[in-house]
Amino acid sequence: MVVDDEPIVGKRLKRLLEREGYAVETFTRGSQALEGLGRNRYDVIITDIMMGNVDGMMILEYVKSNYPDIPVIIITGYGKKEIAEEAYRKGVHSFIIKPFRIDELKAVVKEALSGADKD
Amino acid sequence: MNLKIWHKMIIGISIPSLVVIIGGLLTLYYLNNVKTRHGFVEIADDLRERVLEIRRNEKNFLLHKTTEYYKYFKSSISILQRSASNIPEAIIDQVGKSEFLLLRNSIQNYQDLLNNLLENYLHEERQVEKVREEGRHLESFVAKKNHAVELSTDFVLNLRRFEKNYMLFRDKASFDELNKGLAQFDNIIPFCIECIRYANAINELLNVHTDQTRLEGSLQIIGNKLEEITNTISIRERENVRSFFSVTQHRLLIVLVLLCVMGPLFVYKTATHIVKPIKRLAEITKRISEGDLSLRAPLKEHDETFQLSQSFNTMLDKLQFTQQSLERSLELLHEKHVEAEKRASLGFLVSGVAHELNNPLNNISLTAETMKEDLDTMTREEQKEYIQDILTQSERAKHIIEELLDFVGTRKSTAMEKLDIINVLGESIHLVSNQLKVTNIKLKLDVPQYPFFIKGNQSKIEEIFVNIMVNAIHAMKDSGTLTICARPGSGQRNIFIDISDTGCGIEEKEIRNIFEPFYTTKPVGEGTGLGLSVAYSLVSKHNGDISVKSKVGKGTTFSIRFPAYDESSVPEISNT
Repeated sequence: MVVDDEPIVGKRLKRLLEREGYAVETFTRGSQALEGLGRNRYDVIITDIMMGNVDGMMILEYVKSNYPDIPVIIITGYGKKEIAEEAYRKGVHSFIIKPFRIDELKAVVKEALSGADKD
Repeated sequence: MNLKIWHKMIIGISIPSLVVIIGGLLTLYYLNNVKTRHGFVEIADDLRERVLEIRRNEKNFLLHKTTEYYKYFKSSISILQRSASNIPEAIIDQVGKSEFLLLRNSIQNYQDLLNNLLENYLHEERQVEKVREEGRHLESFVAKKNHAVELSTDFVLNLRRFEKNYMLFRDKASFDELNKGLAQFDNIIPFCIECIRYANAINELLNVHTDQTRLEGSLQIIGNKLEEITNTISIRERENVRSFFSVTQHRLLIVLVLLCVMGPLFVYKTATHIVKPIKRLAEITKRISEGDLSLRAPLKEHDETFQLSQSFNTMLDKLQFTQQSLERSLELLHEKHVEAEKRASLGFLVSGVAHELNNPLNNISLTAETMKEDLDTMTREEQKEYIQDILTQSERAKHIIEELLDFVGTRKSTAMEKLDIINVLGESIHLVSNQLKVTNIKLKLDVPQYPFFIKGNQSKIEEIFVNIMVNAIHAMKDSGTLTICARPGSGQRNIFIDISDTGCGIEEKEIRNIFEPFYTTKPVGEGTGLGLSVAYSLVSKHNGDISVKSKVGKGTTFSIRFPAYDESSVPEISNT
């Protein structure tokens, strides 16, 4: 699952990750993503932070309280130290700052999925 | 009049003193005069007394005709003569020279007459004795009867009776009788020597008596004259004194009234004259102390205040110069600090913008990477779409940077133009929106959907809004609600913009300082303390006003008013 209010991010990540063999679903609004979580089972969630009403931090909290096994990766342009610390405190798997290299994300996703498999 | 205060005071004191001294001298002179005049009256009275005594003695002497009375009479005349000759010439000149001359002559005549009269009296006595002797002689001659028969004893005795009557009465009847008797001697023949001698003696006595009457008359006339002269002198002197008193009284009264009226008037005039320049100087200094340093003390009077005014003006020149240089320094300092404040705001904005830039950059890099990996398998349309995405995102990044540069002031124009304040407000909010995103601060907007025009400078007004909003964000730390509300006033003459936060609020004692330059409650290094003061001065330059309401713990609201666009008024704005 990829959540980002920038549609381009969703589109590009979908294409790039699908090439790696993952099934990818994208959302541009946090609320839609939360709805999606109730419908399907996701192995990893990649989300932005700043997204209007329901932001990445809320998704992280929701996931960690309802589906603690699903790793959450945050991608954000607002790489402030305080926000990153808050995210790690809430149990984020990785905190990636925009702009990032796709290989970096791929590695993190791979690592997250392997960690999830182990559990 | 170029008189010094010192001179004015001397004049002010010496003129009344001089008047008082003159008045005193005049009074002294008058008193002295009165004394002299009184002396004259005394002299005149004394003379009159003496004359009256002489007249008394004169009557006694004429009555008794004795040497004893003569002595009294004589001595009283001598006393008068002494008194008259003892009077000093100066007084005689004043009282009346001719009268005194007349008086002296009269006294002399009087004395001469008296001497003559005494002689006459002595002569009369002798003559009376002689008549009696001749009478007796005639009687004895007749008694011998050796003479003419006509000369009878009876006749002689009768004659002697007439003689005695005359001696006793000395009136006309007895004189006529005696005269008639004597006339009968002519009828006696032969010639009688005794008769002739008797008749001669009587005739001599008659002559003496005639002289005596004349002398006595003259004496009385002169006596009257003496009395008259002294009376005149005495009355005139009294009259003189009386009129002198009345004249003096009038004069002194006039002087007194003049002194009463002119004295206070003169003192008042002098005081006014002295005080006037000082008062003028005091008024000017008061006005200067109220803030008008361009005023100068007038240099009208050439007295002590002239130098004072001159020194005062020199001091003012220096003060004004110092004030102007201080103002210039302060202006420069202010400009520098305004710039510093702007940089501080800018730093705050840049951190937001930097984060905002990451989004388009990320989009570009992701798109590029996708293309790099999938270029061969991509359709031509896909390639075009990707390149378009890159272009769009580049444009977006460029726009973000442009907005920032706009605020920094690449657009340096200071022109006042017709602006849509709602649009400017929107752009200002956009500048801080990135900061809102990184915090939990929510934005509540309540602005009209239509434009509202004011006359102003866009970058300046943006600066106002950004300064206030940055303050609000700082006050709320990381969570709260920023409410921005704009509403036009009645008749669309003004627009009111309220920017409220739900921050910590400002304490009441701090509120009045908050628009003061360099006043800040932020920790050292976080703010210059100029943001709100700059906002205040910029709002004033747009003919608007700004106020603040705050409650500790609840939040703060800044209310700004701008007048609506009006063709007729074009406020100027300086480049700060």
